[in-house]
Amino acid sequence: MKISLDWLKEFVAVTAGPKELKTDLTNLGLGVESLAGAPSRITGQGEAGLPTEANPSAQVSGDTVFEIEVTTNRPDCLSHLGVAREVATLYRLPLKRPRIELKESPALTNGAVSIEITDPDLCARYCGRVVRNVEVKPSPAWLVRRLEAVGLRPINNVADVTNYVLMDLGHPLHAFDLARLRASKIIVRRARPGERLRTLDGVDRLLASENLVIADAERAVALAGVMGGEDTEISASTRAVLLESAWFDPVSIRRTAKSQGLHTEASHRFERGADIEMAPLALDRAAQLIADIAGGEILGGILDVYPAPRVRPEIPLGAGEIVRILGYDVPAGEVERILGSLGFRMVSRAASPTGREGLSSSPSGGRPGAWIVTPPSFRLDVAREVDLIEEIARHFGFDRLPSRLRVATRRIGEENLPVQAGRREKESAVSNLLAGLGFYEIYTSSMVDPEENARFTNRPPVVLGNPLSQEASVLRSTSVPSMLHALGWNLDRGRTDLRLYEAGKIYVAKPASAGRRESATKPGGLPDERRVLTLGMSGARRDASVHEPERALDFYDLKGGLEALIEAFEASRLGFAAEGCAYFEPGFAAKFLLDGQPLAIFGRLASRLAREYKFSRDVWLAEVDYDRLLELPLRARSFRPFSKFPAVKRDFSLLVPMGTPYERVAEALAGARDEEVQSFRPVERLPEGKIFPDHYSLLLRVTFQSATRTLTSEEIAGAGRRLVEGLAPLGVRLRS
Amino acid sequence: MTIEEEVSKTLAELGVTEAPAVEALFAEVRAAMDSERQELVSRGAASSTEREKTAKALRDRWLGRKNGLLAHIDEKWLKPSSRELKPIVGRKFNELRQTSAQLEMEALIRDVPVRAKVNSSDPGSKDASFASTGQALSTATGTVAVTTKDSVAVEVTTAAADLTLPGYRRRLGSIHPITRVQREIEDIFLGLGYSIETGPEVETAYYNFDALNIPATHPARDDMDSLYVDAETVLRTHTSPVQIRALRKHGAPLYILAPGRVYRRDNPDASHSPMFHQIEGLAVDADITFADLKGTLDFFCRKFFGEKVRTSFHPTYFPFTEPSGEVSISCFVCDGAGSDAVGRSCRTCKASGWIEVMGCGMIHPDVLGHGGVDPERYSGWAFGLGIDRFAMVKYDIHDIQLFFQSDMRFLEQF
Ligand SMILES: [Zn+2]
Repeated sequence: MKISLDWLKEFVAVTAGPKELKTDLTNLGLGVESLAGAPSRITGQGEAGLPTEANPSAQVSGDTVFEIEVTTNRPDCLSHLGVAREVATLYRLPLKRPRIELKESPALTNGAVSIEITDPDLCARYCGRVVRNVEVKPSPAWLVRRLEAVGLRPINNVADVTNYVLMDLGHPLHAFDLARLRASKIIVRRARPGERLRTLDGVDRLLASENLVIADAERAVALAGVMGGEDTEISASTRAVLLESAWFDPVSIRRTAKSQGLHTEASHRFERGADIEMAPLALDRAAQLIADIAGGEILGGILDVYPAPRVRPEIPLGAGEIVRILGYDVPAGEVERILGSLGFRMVSRAASPTGREGLSSSPSGGRPGAWIVTPPSFRLDVAREVDLIEEIARHFGFDRLPSRLRVATRRIGEENLPVQAGRREKESAVSNLLAGLGFYEIYTSSMVDPEENARFTNRPPVVLGNPLSQEASVLRSTSVPSMLHALGWNLDRGRTDLRLYEAGKIYVAKPASAGRRESATKPGGLPDERRVLTLGMSGARRDASVHEPERALDFYDLKGGLEALIEAFEASRLGFAAEGCAYFEPGFAAKFLLDGQPLAIFGRLASRLAREYKFSRDVWLAEVDYDRLLELPLRARSFRPFSKFPAVKRDFSLLVPMGTPYERVAEALAGARDEEVQSFRPVERLPEGKIFPDHYSLLLRVTFQSATRTLTSEEIAGAGRRLVEGLAPLGVRLRS
Repeated sequence: MTIEEEVSKTLAELGVTEAPAVEALFAEVRAAMDSERQELVSRGAASSTEREKTAKALRDRWLGRKNGLLAHIDEKWLKPSSRELKPIVGRKFNELRQTSAQLEMEALIRDVPVRAKVNSSDPGSKDASFASTGQALSTATGTVAVTTKDSVAVEVTTAAADLTLPGYRRRLGSIHPITRVQREIEDIFLGLGYSIETGPEVETAYYNFDALNIPATHPARDDMDSLYVDAETVLRTHTSPVQIRALRKHGAPLYILAPGRVYRRDNPDASHSPMFHQIEGLAVDADITFADLKGTLDFFCRKFFGEKVRTSFHPTYFPFTEPSGEVSISCFVCDGAGSDAVGRSCRTCKASGWIEVMGCGMIHPDVLGHGGVDPERYSGWAFGLGIDRFAMVKYDIHDIQLFFQSDMRFLEQF
């Protein structure tokens, strides 16, 4: 909403400069988006006189225009009068109202036109006036200046007056060429099925029965509260004008404006709620101005159809509630001044002994501090006590109200959600660990291309009804393509050292048949949102340096990372399976299982996919069921005493039959180990046949240690022998 | 003049005003150091105890932290030197320091046999005595050649290692700026005793709109143009629905923080993304007032943006709070001035001196009611902020798309 400072001064004698006013308006909730001088040709000063925000003093002889961001709850501030009322209250100045003096002719409006509302649920009031013998021509300079200052294009004197009153008082008006109204009749009704109307913007519109129209005896002549019709438009030949000033139902106007795709100054105000009591005043003001600048005679009386006059609610207000919400006992005088100046009617109410007022912390005790407040007709946003308190807070000043810091009195994690507090700690542990392992965290879009998504999973994604594009038309049900794109983006930019991870979500739609929600408030059919941890790697384990040549990543880099990740948790029943799924390269993929269910699946991206994605290098992927991982407790940190006696390491060179995986060897070793065998690990593996036919060679390093004594070489030899004997069933033997 | 006398005077007092004179002066010092070092090396035959004593004296004389000659040179020559001379003095001083590092090393390496001797007094160790006789010392991990010809050992060591090469490093990854900022915000509120609560991203229109006083007929619904699944299901446009869910689940009193991903039907550009992240905060209790809102958010902003930041509150409109406010902080870059010391306007606050950071308000009684909480008995305040926006302000990022591109050139900076 554009507000001209000059125009504002017609309502209130404001002395504050533009910059000060800008700050003060913002502190009232009327945020000023910009502040600029009015167009220079109006000031008559030429280009050089153009004032700027940085130099407001440059506009001494010009006007200043504020672009105010009016929130949807304050349609009353979509006018100079409304903003002036706020300013007057702020600076404790009187609000001047325009003087309306009408010279009415003896001829009556009533005889010139008739008005009927057939759908009073959508039109609560309709006022009409007639001005005859007007001369339609361009508006005088002052009017053009006013309209242009607030960004409106002048049309002709009659149309300009209706726009002027709109910006002045905030009430939308419409002017009909009376001669073109069949039977001089106005009927306010719902559109008939199939009815058409050509609106002022030249568009032929098909109307629906939810659209309210203004009709004459035969046909629709205006889309009520949105836009007039072309056929009854004011033209140079117009001699008699019917002025409309009405009040339309906000919801109906909003629907019509939306369904017709037509957003106008009028619909903008009606759908937010216009001032029903302003209708006749705005009409008088417009009639007076038309008579002044277009000549003509104003017929006597207003035709005012107002079947059920609106009554504003009476809202009790108590000082106790003000303290309860604001934490501050705003003085009664201040409360009365603010609300009074904003147009609220207040009467004192005797404090009842049972009322909330009795709890007031007021030291004086005897002061009334209790009112019955009636909000003005232009404040449809005020309906409850707390709305009044907001008005008081706004004008008292948020920054003047007290401030207090206090801590929570209840932690829900302790009572109801034992896992909740720990969850965040686990998430932090995971991201810290992955960062330590060299992974960079990424965030990718949840909205993806359905076709690509379907190539990686058969879980149904969540389909959007109004996506921004086809490539972002479903919520992903797999995180793999997102990771591939992230890797590809960086590979394309020459990166050779990629380790990425994402702790994100996938969204799995519930089948439509699975009993959709029981009620709107009780969701039953919302999609399954699952958390997944996705790892992606490509390129070198470490870049080449003077210390070490570059080495490509391999399967064990990924496996080692996952082992470190999972070992941060208590995962005792962890299994391993050397199989992946469709998008992994066969023979290079595996799973970690928890209780037999996959916890992580990982491996090298299938080469056919790597080719399709035009990856220049191998890509390694892992998907971790993050929900399940986070259900596990973090590995407990408790100290176990270690042995004080020396540990001895011995290497065993084993020959293992072809096709026996290390896992089997390790299981056999674990079964055969004496308590003196503290640990064992493979340190070298030579391929099949290199040392001995059909066998591979495995160098095993075993650490022997006792908790109670220093082991003798005989004891060590014995434990080693038993270990090797345990491998005999596998056909494993010592290399001589 | 002795070296001691020289280093107790400044270059000006010594009459050294030009680069060649500086070079000559350092050459003199360097020569003195070399000759003293040579003397130490030539004492090879002397007893190790005596050599150790000499080495220590030499180290103290040159490298002593307080009274060493190098410390004096730093104090008297380098620090007070004129702007013209400083680069050359600095360079020469560094060269000297590098040379003297060898002094340190010699002393250290000479320490080895001394320690071995201590070890050899340990009756449990048979191997240690080998060291002093110049034989190979066998260990569990390998074989190290040790010789009693100390000067040879020194030369081998120093020639093999160029200590100025970069270290052998593992690359560390990084945590995304949005996660960082989210954790930072959570930590502040967890410290105040708040709990963390989450809700679904695919939400019912009821929780996202209606329960928050935004019926389908409300113009405010246009302000949050949503992506929807069907008539009753939307991608949540804010984290506020968690308010209702948490109130219904836990009742009052309630102090929670609800972080998460939200969606709007906005075409992506530098300041818009159809997907972004918010944190909702909420406190409901028997005696919560606007003062708690102000005090808590003021505390939070100072913790997050720095203690010198001031907060300002001004009214706005949200359907689910009453009164509703917006919080601005004084700009932490220009300290609220709007421009820097030489008058250039501040980019961070667009020269206004203030940065709008979040929305807040007292929870509307109807919303408390929808959450199953009696608004006559309880009151509450809530806030909502954009994590992405906080990260942009904090790290001076001017394009929101960077967060979601996964570009290493971006990620590496965090
Ligand atoms: Zn600034």
